[in-house]
Amino acid sequence: MSEHTKQPHDMGGEAGGPIDTVDHGMKFWERQANALRNTLSRSKIVRLDEMRRAAEDLGARYYELEYFERTTHALRTVLLEKGYFTQAELAAKMAEVRKRYDDA
Amino acid sequence: MTTPSAYTDAPTRRFSVGDRVAVKVSFPPGHRRTPHYIRGKRGVIERVCGAFPNPEELAYGFSGEPKRVLYRVRFKQLEVWPDYAGPEADWLELEIYEHWLEPA
Repeated sequence: MSEHTKQPHDMGGEAGGPIDTVDHGMKFWERQANALRNTLSRSKIVRLDEMRRAAEDLGARYYELEYFERTTHALRTVLLEKGYFTQAELAAKMAEVRKRYDDA
Repeated sequence: MTTPSAYTDAPTRRFSVGDRVAVKVSFPPGHRRTPHYIRGKRGVIERVCGAFPNPEELAYGFSGEPKRVLYRVRFKQLEVWPDYAGPEADWLELEIYEHWLEPA
């Protein structure tokens, strides 16, 4: 029964495999995303607990994403839930930024 | 700038240091802060950590009020992992909210 409701982060007691101890540093976008997440968290627009929940709700995708991809996806989910922007607005903004990047 | 601690004293609480407790065997869906491997295990209250907004409610955008008392609970490793190969005296400590604990 418990296996059906166990969330992906709840991995205590499972075989862990080898541990990667190499410092991979942070990519530019990861720094930007992390700064945004910390700023929104500090101003209580989003809560750490909400973002944890949104990440856990990724299910199997949780393991497919890297750490900052996961946390950024969770931030997006919570901001959409709270109505700070809509899916359409986000898609339009992403297209606009993409164009700016491609034109540069 | 550091985030202020959410700690508040817990004058009214169900358990005290030294009390024997058991972790509830329950598998509700959603954001839960009690790992599966510890559910159903018996331990002893090591300290009262204080009262904090309930993270299982904060995770869904609610206030987390009323606050929940958080305890540090000490478990024998042999109780947690039946095939534990280390010394019998080894223990494990987890911080667990009051609503996950029952007298044992």
